[in-house]
Amino acid sequence: MRNVRNLILTIIAVVLFAFFLDKAPELLNGYWQRILNLIAINAILALSLNLIYGITGMFSLGHAGFMAIGAYVSALLVLSPAQKNSMWILEDIYPWLLNVNAPFIVSLIIAGLVAAFFGLLVALPVLRLGGDYLGIATLGFAEIIRILITNTARLTNGSLGLKGIPAYTTLFMSWSCLGIVLLCTVCMLRSNFGGVLRAVRDDEVAAKMMGINTFKIKVIAFTLGCFGGGLGGALMGNLITTIDPRMFMITQTYNVLMIIVVGGLGSVTGSLIGSVLVTTMLEWLRFVENPITIGAINIPGIPGMRMVIFSLLLIMVIIFRREGIMGMREFSWNIFFPKKKITDVGSKTETVLELEDVKLKFGGLSAIDNLSMKIKHWEIVGLIGPNGAGKTSAFNVISGFYKPTSGTIKFLGKSIGGLSPDEVCKAGMSRTFQNIRLFGNQTVLQNVMIGSRIRQKYSWWMTLLPFIFTDVIKEDAEARAQAMNLLDQLGLDAFADEKASSLPYGAQRRLEIARALATRPKFLLLDEPAAGMNPQESEELMKFIRRLRDEFDLTILLIEHDMKVVMNVCDYIHVLDQGVHIAEGTPAEIKANPRVVEAYLGAGAAEGGAA
Amino acid sequence: MDDRTMLKIEKLNVSYGAIQAVRDVSISINRGEIVTLIGANGAGKSSIIRAIMGLVKSRSEEMTFISPRDGKPVSIQGKPAEAHVKLGISLSPEGRRILPQLTVEENLTLGAYIRDDAKGIADDMEYVYSLFPRLKERRRQKGSTLSGGEQQMLAVGRALMSRPDLLMLDEPSLGLAPILVDEVFGIIREINAQGRTILLVEQNAFAALKVAHKAYVLEVGAVGLSGTGAELLNDPKVRAAYLGG
Amino acid sequence: MELNIFVQHFINALSLGSLYGLVAVGYTMVYGILRLINFAHGDIFMLGAYFVYFATIVYKLNWGVGVVIAIILTTICGLLVDRIAYKPLREAPRISALISAIGVSFFIENFAVVVFTGMPRPVVQPPILMKPIEFSNGVRLIPLGILVPVVAFLLVGALLWLLYCTKPGLAMRAISFDIETTRMMGVSVNKIIALAFGLGSALAAVAGIMWALRYPRVEPFMGMTPGIKAFIAAVFGGIGSVPGAMIGGLILGFVEIMSVAFFPTLSGYKDAFAFLLLILILLFRPTGLLGEKLEDKI
Repeated sequence: MRNVRNLILTIIAVVLFAFFLDKAPELLNGYWQRILNLIAINAILALSLNLIYGITGMFSLGHAGFMAIGAYVSALLVLSPAQKNSMWILEDIYPWLLNVNAPFIVSLIIAGLVAAFFGLLVALPVLRLGGDYLGIATLGFAEIIRILITNTARLTNGSLGLKGIPAYTTLFMSWSCLGIVLLCTVCMLRSNFGGVLRAVRDDEVAAKMMGINTFKIKVIAFTLGCFGGGLGGALMGNLITTIDPRMFMITQTYNVLMIIVVGGLGSVTGSLIGSVLVTTMLEWLRFVENPITIGAINIPGIPGMRMVIFSLLLIMVIIFRREGIMGMREFSWNIFFPKKKITDVGSKTETVLELEDVKLKFGGLSAIDNLSMKIKHWEIVGLIGPNGAGKTSAFNVISGFYKPTSGTIKFLGKSIGGLSPDEVCKAGMSRTFQNIRLFGNQTVLQNVMIGSRIRQKYSWWMTLLPFIFTDVIKEDAEARAQAMNLLDQLGLDAFADEKASSLPYGAQRRLEIARALATRPKFLLLDEPAAGMNPQESEELMKFIRRLRDEFDLTILLIEHDMKVVMNVCDYIHVLDQGVHIAEGTPAEIKANPRVVEAYLGAGAAEGGAA
Repeated sequence: MDDRTMLKIEKLNVSYGAIQAVRDVSISINRGEIVTLIGANGAGKSSIIRAIMGLVKSRSEEMTFISPRDGKPVSIQGKPAEAHVKLGISLSPEGRRILPQLTVEENLTLGAYIRDDAKGIADDMEYVYSLFPRLKERRRQKGSTLSGGEQQMLAVGRALMSRPDLLMLDEPSLGLAPILVDEVFGIIREINAQGRTILLVEQNAFAALKVAHKAYVLEVGAVGLSGTGAELLNDPKVRAAYLGG
Repeated sequence: MELNIFVQHFINALSLGSLYGLVAVGYTMVYGILRLINFAHGDIFMLGAYFVYFATIVYKLNWGVGVVIAIILTTICGLLVDRIAYKPLREAPRISALISAIGVSFFIENFAVVVFTGMPRPVVQPPILMKPIEFSNGVRLIPLGILVPVVAFLLVGALLWLLYCTKPGLAMRAISFDIETTRMMGVSVNKIIALAFGLGSALAAVAGIMWALRYPRVEPFMGMTPGIKAFIAAVFGGIGSVPGAMIGGLILGFVEIMSVAFFPTLSGYKDAFAFLLLILILLFRPTGLLGEKLEDKI
C-alpha cells in the first residue's frame, strides 16, 4: 500500500514539475532558465561521480576529463560542415570529420558511450590502485585527455576550442536527461546490485567473501559513472555553446566533488540538493563581483570574491558537518506520514576439507608450518592456540585471502589452493571475521541480501530498467524473502530495517553469520565468534552454533579463545602454537595434553597445574 | 592509601563501541613491586594497560599516580600519553611496535625523547646495551632486520630510556622461543632489582606468576582473583581461567 | 646538439627539477605523516613568490631582507592552514581533510585574486643574477641557473641533516611509521606535525621565490600546475621519502626539458609527460622509487 501511495505521489510531483518546466520559458527570464539548466546538468554530473565515489567508494578526480570527451564528441557531431570549415583556422580538419553529423539526442548518447569507453580503458589498469593513488592517477588521466585535446588540432581545433555550438540544451532536454539518469540510478541502487556496489565500498574484503568479484563491480560502476560524465559534458557544451580545453581543468572536477560532499557522499537525494544549492549559490554569489550601489555609496565589484566566500563555506561544511546535508540518507515520502516477515540440504561428502602440508611464509617468517588436517562432514571443529599461533592466517589461507606457500587444500574433493575469495565462496565456503566486517551503512536486510547475489541470474545492466527486465524485481523479491527467512531463524527479524552498525554487539555477530549463511555454504568458518561476549552471551552462542549446524546441515571450523565455548561445542580440536600444529584430538584429550597446557600457561605449567 | 602506593586505579571501564572490554577493574601498585595481570586472550589485559597509558578512552573513579620523585599524587585520567612519559611512566607495547625503518640506536634515542641530558642518555644507552648485549652488536641495523626476540629486547630497552619509575610491559614473552622467555623474565627481575616498579601483562601465566609480587587474574574484562604470585601459582582456578575448567 | 646548447638544457632541467623537488619535499613530509595530499601546498608556493614581490618590488626592500620576510610570512601561512583547516579533522575520515585541502587551495588562490588582482605582475630580476658568465669553450651560463639548484640542494641537505641528526627529525620520521608508538615515547605529536608543515612551507616559499625569478612574473594561479607536478614527483620518488621527492623532482625536470629539447614537435605534450610517468610508476611500482612496501591486513 505504502509503495503504491509513494509511486502516485512521485508521479504527481514529476507531472507538476514537467508542467512548470513547460511554462518556464514564459515565467522565467534567461538568467533563471540558465540556472535551472545548470542545476540539471550539475545533478547529472554529481549523480555519476557519486556513483563512482560515494556509492562504490572509488576516489576519482577524473570527471573533468570525461566531461571534456562528452562535450567534444557531441559538439563535433552537431556542428554543421560549414561551421566546421570556417572554424578550423590553424590546421585543416580531418576530411572524414567534416561531414560527420548526427541529431542532438544521438550525439548525447554517443558522447556518453565514448566517455564510457575511455572510462573503461582507464579503469582496467587503474582500478587496481586504491585510495589516494587512484585519485591521483585519475586526475592524471583527466589532464592527459585535456592535453591531447589541446594538441590534436585537426580533430578538436586545439586550444581555440569550438564556438557556435547550437544551443540545443533546452530546459526540456536537460531535465529529461536528468529524469532518465535519476530513474536508472535509483532503480539500480534499489536493486540487490546496488547493495553490492555499496558493499564494495563498505568492506571490500567481506564483499569478496560473499562471492563478489569486486574488481568487475568497480569497473562497471566506474564506466557507468563516466557515461554520466560524458553526458553531462555534452549537455554543458550545448548550453554554453562554446567549449575549449581550459574549461575542463581540475577545477571542474572539484566543483562536482563539492556538490556531492555538500549534499552527502553516497546519497542520491544529497546530490540533487547539492546541485541546487551549489549551482544557485555560485550564480548568486556573482553579485559580490559586480559593482553594487546602495543609496549614494558605490561599492566596486571585487573579482575573485565569489570563490573566496564559496571556498570558506566549503571548509566550514567540512569542519562542522562533514557528512554533508543528507549524510547517506535518502528522501522518502514516508517522512510526511507518521509510522503505523528454508533451509538447505548439502551434499554428504565424507571429508569436507583436507589440508596437506600447508605452509605459509611472509618474507622469511613462517606463519604456518606444515599444517595438515581433515574435517569431516557435520563436524564442529575448533582451531585454538595462543596469540600469534597462526590461526587467523590458517583461515585466510583456507578462504583464499592468502595463497599457501606450499601444500594442498582440498574442499569437497576439489583443490582450492590459490583460488580467490569470491571463487572459494562460490565453491560453497563462507566465513566471518575476527573484527566484525559488516556493511555498516546498509540495513540488516540488505547485508543479508548481498549474500544471495551470487545465486541471482540477472545481469547488472538490467537493473537500470527493471520495468522491462522484470527478472530483477522478481529475483530481488525472492532474495528478500529468503533473507527475511534467515533473519527470522537467527532472531534478527526485528532489526531488518535498522542500520547494521547500530545493532548491539551480539546481534552484529549473529548478523555476520546470517550474511555468511545467505551464500548457502556447506562449510562455515567462524573467527572468534565469542569475542567480546560476556559469559551468558557465550553460553547462548554455544547453543546457537550447534543449532546452526543442525538446521543448515553445515560443517563448521571455528577459532575461539573462550575455552568454555571450544570445549563444550567442538567435536574435535586442532591446536597451533607459533605456526606449528602441536596437537589434535577430542576436547578431553586436548585438555590433558601437556604440550597444549604448556603452550597456554607457559613452561612448567603442566606439572605445576597438576598440583 | 598506603604510603608506598605508586599507582591506584578504582573502577576502570573501557569500551570499544558496543563491546565493554574492561568492567570496574581496581588495581593498586606499590613502589618496587612487580605486579602482573594475567588472563586468557581477550580478557582485557592490554586494554587496562593502554588505558593507564592514555592510549584509549576510559572512565574510572580514580586513576592516580604518585611519583617517587616528589611524592605528589597526580590524576592521570584523560591525560595524553606524552604527559605520562614526563611523569615517569613508560610502556613497552604489545607486538613490540619497533619503528622498522629506524636503527636500533635511533629507536633507543627516541625512547629518551623527553630528556635533554646527553651524558645521562649515553649512560642509559650503555646500561641497556649491558642488559641486552645483542642490541649493541646490532645498533646500526634497522629495526625491521631484528629477530622477534631482539625486537622484544629493543622494545623493553626503549621503554627504559625515559628513566621511568613505573615500567609497563605488555606481553613481553609473546612469540618468543622458550629459552628466550626465560631470558626476558630474568631481565625483568634484574630491572626490578635495580629499583624500578613493573606492571606486567602476560599470557604466559606461570612465568609471570613466578616473578610477580602481586597478581590479578582477569576473566572477561573483570578481576576474577588476586593475590601474591606464589598463592596463585598453585590455585586450580587459574588453570580453569585459561583452559575453561 | 652543440655542447653549449646541451649544457644550457642541462642546467635548465637541473633548476626546474630541483624546484619541483623542493615543493615535492613539502608534499612528501605531510603525506608521510598524515596521509593527506595537501592540495594547498602549491598555493603556499605562490604566496612565497608574492611576498617576495611585494617586499622587494613594491616596498623596495633589499633582496636579502625581502627573501627572509617572505619565507617567514609563508611559513606562518602554512602553519595557519594546518591549524585552521586540517587540525580539527585529524580524527575524521581522510577524505574530509582532503576536501578541506581542496577548499583551502581554492580559498588561497581566489583570496590572492582579491588582494593582488588576477593580473600577472612582472618581477624585476636582480642584474647580478642575470649577467651571463662565458667559459672558454663557448658555454654561457646565467648565474640564476646555477644558484637555483645549489640553493635547492643545500636546503634539502639541511633538511636531511635535521631529519637524520636531530631529535625533532627523529620524531618526525618515527611519526610517519607509527603515531601511537611515537606518542608513547613522550613526543607531542601535534608540535611535530606543525614542524613538518612549517618546514614544508618554508621550502615551498624558497621554491616560489626562485620560480618567480626564473619566469619573471607572479600570478595567483601560478602554484596550480607546479603544485600538481611536484606532488607527482613526490609519488614518483616514493611518497614519504625526502630524498625520493628530490630525485622524483629532478627526473621530472629532466624528462620535461630534455624531451622538448630533443623532440621539439612534442612540446605541446610537455605537461602530459608528468602524468604519463605517474601512471606508469603507479602501475608498475605503486610505492614509488624509494617508497616502502606496505602490507595490507585482513
